[in-house]
Amino acid sequence: MSPVETGRRGAAPDPSFAPEPAGAVPVIVSRDLTVGYKLHRERKRLTALRDISLSVNAGEFVVLVGPSGCGKTTFINAIAGLVQPWEGSIEVNGRPVTGPGPDRAMVFQDYALMPWRTVESNIRMPFELQKLGLSKQEIDARVRRYIDLVDLTGFEKSFPYELSGGMKQRVGIARALVSEPDILLADEPFAAIDAMTREAMQGELERFVAKTGQTVVFITHSIDEAITLGDRVVVISYRPGQIKEVVDVNLPRPRFDYDVKSLPEYSELRDHIWRLVKDEALQTAHGAK
Amino acid sequence: MSTPDLSDGGSISEATDPNRIEDTEWTAGEAWERYGSKVVTVINLTIFFIVWELFARSGAINQLFLPTASNMFLALWDGFTTTAPPGAVISGSIRDHLLYSLTNLSIGLFIACVIGIPAGLLMGGSKYVEKILSPYVWALASLPRIALVPLFILFLGFTVKMQITIIALSAVFPIIINAWAGVKTTDESLLAAARVFGASRAELYVKVVLPFTLPFIISGIQQGIGRGLIGVVIAEIFGGSKGLGYLITRAADTFNSALLYAVLLLLVIVSLTLIQITRSLEAYVAPWRRVDKV
Repeated sequence: MSPVETGRRGAAPDPSFAPEPAGAVPVIVSRDLTVGYKLHRERKRLTALRDISLSVNAGEFVVLVGPSGCGKTTFINAIAGLVQPWEGSIEVNGRPVTGPGPDRAMVFQDYALMPWRTVESNIRMPFELQKLGLSKQEIDARVRRYIDLVDLTGFEKSFPYELSGGMKQRVGIARALVSEPDILLADEPFAAIDAMTREAMQGELERFVAKTGQTVVFITHSIDEAITLGDRVVVISYRPGQIKEVVDVNLPRPRFDYDVKSLPEYSELRDHIWRLVKDEALQTAHGAK
Repeated sequence: MSTPDLSDGGSISEATDPNRIEDTEWTAGEAWERYGSKVVTVINLTIFFIVWELFARSGAINQLFLPTASNMFLALWDGFTTTAPPGAVISGSIRDHLLYSLTNLSIGLFIACVIGIPAGLLMGGSKYVEKILSPYVWALASLPRIALVPLFILFLGFTVKMQITIIALSAVFPIIINAWAGVKTTDESLLAAARVFGASRAELYVKVVLPFTLPFIISGIQQGIGRGLIGVVIAEIFGGSKGLGYLITRAADTFNSALLYAVLLLLVIVSLTLIQITRSLEAYVAPWRRVDKV
């Protein structure tokens, strides 16, 4: 099966948002991926995702949208190496995923910060668990730089319970970025954050990954967030999750600054994706009965 | 909106200022909110003891059964300021008995921790250990410990060993069950996060499961102290010639009601003190668990 077509960024006036060179390199390749989990009590297993074929290129920002329970999280867990494929395959940088690795990092919806660790200690954790060949001085400098990047200087010794939701997630983001992974996985990172903080954080994230060239796979329930951030929006159908449509988003970047929401293309895209998601959401509602 | 330059420290954030906290004066209402409960407790207890004193003095109840509060405090004072003459079977001295009971309690709790913490962690960590041990744990935990006392007297006689066995057995089950529950309820997303960032199986236990379980273990010890104290008194009442439990029975046998009530009050104080110490310990090791508590 051929990989799904790759998306291209729209013409960008800002030089740091230049279009990718021709012959983009696929870093995440999923072929006919089928995966799910066992329901122990019922001697059954549930297929969360069926026949997912998707290729994500280096530096691409791919957003997954779909109804609750459609298996979006299972897909990024498969990329992260937290779950193994039942059928098909998933490759990162040309090698089949057998487990987590330092080339991938994740931001979690519920932050997943260790409550007994300070902000600094949480952000330092990836270096404790992975051998990245950095000296202590380099690690210290890196941790300081990322604390500064997420604007938590002064809060190094605070514990997560002392922080607001937005601040907690900035710790989660710094922890994911600090080891400078090729691939950033984000599972509804801004879902629990208030709308204004959320928009600001979207803008900063867009700017940051455009600068570093990191590949991002991002889950959201918000169509606006999907269009604001994604080069491509992958709409996933309800149980078992299958790719319903891949929508290219060719809007100028940085979208946060260009106020893309006022463009007619934005409304068209929004309308198109909403229609796709609505059908699935209705099925979810019926399925829930 | 201006574009922050990421090359020299732009940020992903809303604005935050670490120096937002300033000193401020308290209003009377705020001071009352902070210290009021302590004042109320002191007044409350004072009234309680005065009412007790007046009621006991009125003679409504024979002072053989209900001493005056002042006599009780006097017995408590004497108990701590005098030592028993050598060879005395019973005297008013509380000090030696208290020391004896607390020593046994400490040894019993120590044994309970040494057995209970690893047992609970293993049960939480391994399905097989859990399956094998859980029926015994639940069976023994639900059996009233007092029912086992005659058995231990049969095995070990009226000895310190028997008393410590009963204390350890009383305290061990809350410790096992709490440690077990702590491991089992470890937050899945914390485990997933640690795995994503490269934790091995051993690191998952050391860096996630253990710190998560620590406050559970401390609540287990807290409950264990309560149970252990019951064990102390039971063991000493049933068989022994020393300790606070023994002192209670002797005081009752000799109609020394002031001493009897003094020992009861002392048990309350010891129990509350020990529980308060473990609470502070829990707050110290797991501050995130007491955000909403005072």
